[in-house]
Amino acid sequence: MSVLVESSDVLPLVDVEIAFASGSLQDPAGREGLALLTGHLMRRGPRGLSQQRFEDRLASLGSRVSVQVSMRSTRVRATVLRRNLEPLLGLLADLVWQPALRARDFAKLKRQARAALIARLDDDESLAARCFREALFGEHPYARAQSGNSDSLARIGLPEVESFYARHIAKGAFWVGVAGDVTDTEAHRLAATYFPRARRHKRRDSIVPTTKTRSGRHVVIVDKPERAQTQLFIGTLGARTRDRNLFPLMVSNTVFGGTFSGLLMQEVRAARGWSYSAYSRLLHAKQREAWYMATAPASEYSADCAALQLSLLERWAEGGIKKPQLTFAQRYLINSHCFDRDTPSKRLESRMDVELLGIPRSYVEKYDELVGRVRLRDANDATRARISTRDLSIVVVATATEVASAFERLPGVKSLEVVPFDRG
Amino acid sequence: MATPEVLVQRLNRGVRKRNARLTFVRDVGFGDALRLRRFRLGNGLTVLTLVDRAAPTVSYHSWFRVGSRHERPGKTGLAHLFEHLMFNATRNHATGDFDRLMEGAGAEANAATWTDWTYYYENAPRDALPLLIELESDRMANLVLRAPQVSSEKEVVANERKLRVDDDVEGKALELLYEKAFARHPYRWPTIGSMSDIRGFTVQDCREFYRTHYAPSNATVVIAGDFVESRTLSLMQEHYGRLPRGRRVEERRPSEEPPQRAERVVRLPAPTPTEKLLLGYRAPSFLDADTPPLVVANEVLFGGQSSRLHRLFCLDSELALSVRGSISPFVDPGLYEMWIFLREGKRREDALALLDREIGRLGSEGPTPIELEKAIHQLELSFLHGMETAGGKAEQIGFYETVANDGAAVFERLDAYGKVSARDVKRVVSKHLRPSRRTRIEILRRAS
Repeated sequence: MSVLVESSDVLPLVDVEIAFASGSLQDPAGREGLALLTGHLMRRGPRGLSQQRFEDRLASLGSRVSVQVSMRSTRVRATVLRRNLEPLLGLLADLVWQPALRARDFAKLKRQARAALIARLDDDESLAARCFREALFGEHPYARAQSGNSDSLARIGLPEVESFYARHIAKGAFWVGVAGDVTDTEAHRLAATYFPRARRHKRRDSIVPTTKTRSGRHVVIVDKPERAQTQLFIGTLGARTRDRNLFPLMVSNTVFGGTFSGLLMQEVRAARGWSYSAYSRLLHAKQREAWYMATAPASEYSADCAALQLSLLERWAEGGIKKPQLTFAQRYLINSHCFDRDTPSKRLESRMDVELLGIPRSYVEKYDELVGRVRLRDANDATRARISTRDLSIVVVATATEVASAFERLPGVKSLEVVPFDRG
Repeated sequence: MATPEVLVQRLNRGVRKRNARLTFVRDVGFGDALRLRRFRLGNGLTVLTLVDRAAPTVSYHSWFRVGSRHERPGKTGLAHLFEHLMFNATRNHATGDFDRLMEGAGAEANAATWTDWTYYYENAPRDALPLLIELESDRMANLVLRAPQVSSEKEVVANERKLRVDDDVEGKALELLYEKAFARHPYRWPTIGSMSDIRGFTVQDCREFYRTHYAPSNATVVIAGDFVESRTLSLMQEHYGRLPRGRRVEERRPSEEPPQRAERVVRLPAPTPTEKLLLGYRAPSFLDADTPPLVVANEVLFGGQSSRLHRLFCLDSELALSVRGSISPFVDPGLYEMWIFLREGKRREDALALLDREIGRLGSEGPTPIELEKAIHQLELSFLHGMETAGGKAEQIGFYETVANDGAAVFERLDAYGKVSARDVKRVVSKHLRPSRRTRIEILRRAS
């Protein structure tokens, strides 16, 4: 099915999504940001309608539209008052199939994109997250920033945007999703009217090289002046979506840093008060994505916090978890799963992820079963096999003079690099 | 199904404790399909129920009429620190039990504190409701406050302050804005408190605060979602009915702010890559009749990509990367905050002139019919989005109950938006958005 429907008459509201299986992984090297610029230029409206008139019409309908680009997808997302669904679908179809892609808009958009790169330097947490991915993935496409950088944006011209659009959007596989106050029959009829080309598609998998870690522990200090607080990311490679031990690893990570009762939060925040937040995340994709833990300790004990986290990591990965912890994490994951599907738009999202991201259908349909049948040995074996305590990227946004020497003394550190926060 | 009156009669049968006796207060429509019911326990606890079977979940909110406005200089941030302490040990549960039990049941538990209120919430699978009632009623009366927990939470809050204020240019500017805009009212100090006050809190401060503000008579519990009302009310009687009413909290009327007659300007050099303008116009109370037209004006000026100021600042002149505006939803008069995030090399003077020109134009000409239509439709859309989940509904009900004394007033507010005319917008913009009524924070770029 290329039209996905989730009906609910609880509120007079409908969400619509037109999704394409192409994203920033398709950005050519040196042209990072192309997929995002294409999506955002499309968002400026269809041919025959000025941007202002397009925006006025969307707002008058009581609708909001965004174009979101991830590594593997471009999603045109809209939400609208039920009574205005049909006119919105007409505008969306024009936006997707006849985008104006005007030169004047493109020039403005590039200036806006460059300004956004500068402005985001204010946000230390996202700065740390970006630098962590660069440190972990190096030259691999997973390290690329979807928004590109000032050099890559400068190289992108309108013809490249037109060609990306023609190849990946106009001729690409796409799915239509409708969620909310609309019946299944009505949604299919509307999709057939406004998106007649939506049909069964085979997603073309892009070739993604294998991810590799650098051997040893490497520290990167992202030097920013006047920091009272630091943003600390420590991590290594995580999992593949189709790894057989994905669920055991997910359950094990929940014990470590997935809840407030988890080991990381209890030791860092509850016992010592060192950081407001403390969590770990296991990401998965076609190739091994990242596993990381994140905290935000004050400068004066940032390195102590890092040392504590490293010892907790060793205790978890090498010593494993205990049976009561496993049972607790399984209960938490199964019981809280209802919040992944308590609105029609969330239910649509998980079905869309199956289509777009190559996530096995069973992960959604048999989630409780897959979590529930993880055994202690599987969880501990998966953690030992996947989570390295030796090959780690340690990235901290901080004022370098205040933390550098303490980070250099962390156990097993092979290199320490200081980079200015506003480079490139 | 029994009427609420019959239900209450049945539930009170054999209940001897006065505090556990339930009274039905009223039943009002909540949109087209749902009913919001108000009950009161003998100890003064207000209980609002909204049965909504859209998903197998419940949302449980406990709202207390205490926020940073109830603090005093030298003790700022106590309401917020207390919010943290509420997740610690009670006489019946050890430290860590609360989170462990909640998470084991699949519940998400958190809390928030602001100027006029503090609330605690859990979003949980429906079967977890008895646990939520047990744990929430327990911590309302049995919290254990000892030095190690207070000390550890003070450190966490100090870190939170560094994160949200000291190292966050927007947080720092907002703190400065309220400090300069208010001379007397407690809105002048930050909810998170000053660092020296946070460091200085004692266990005794916390115990006194708990005894004064945490009691059934100062609280409202909102339960929204998929639950059986009779069974739930019976559990409320059993668990909350044991609690004493608590002290009578005398609401001290905060000092009224003297009128502002001239613009106040403060410069804030900061390690930031781009300059920003933050303006705070004196705004009416959330309950004032001028607030709905001002909210509509805000939508015309800042609401999305078709709004006037987004178009002028971000697209036409390219002076700014983004702009945003919001009106503080406070019980007493607050501020209408406006942010202009300038692009590199753009002048603050140009941005201010453009803003003043456009506000002046809206005040003299009013919005066009299409602008008014867009604004009202966008507000309706936001309202519906806020109602998507049981948690969203409970939050709206708790907020309106605490601030406006009526949990169902959220619908009246939506109706009020629909009735706003172009003339109303003109009038409130001319009245409230005058430069002499504002405080301006100019965030300047300080080279590293």
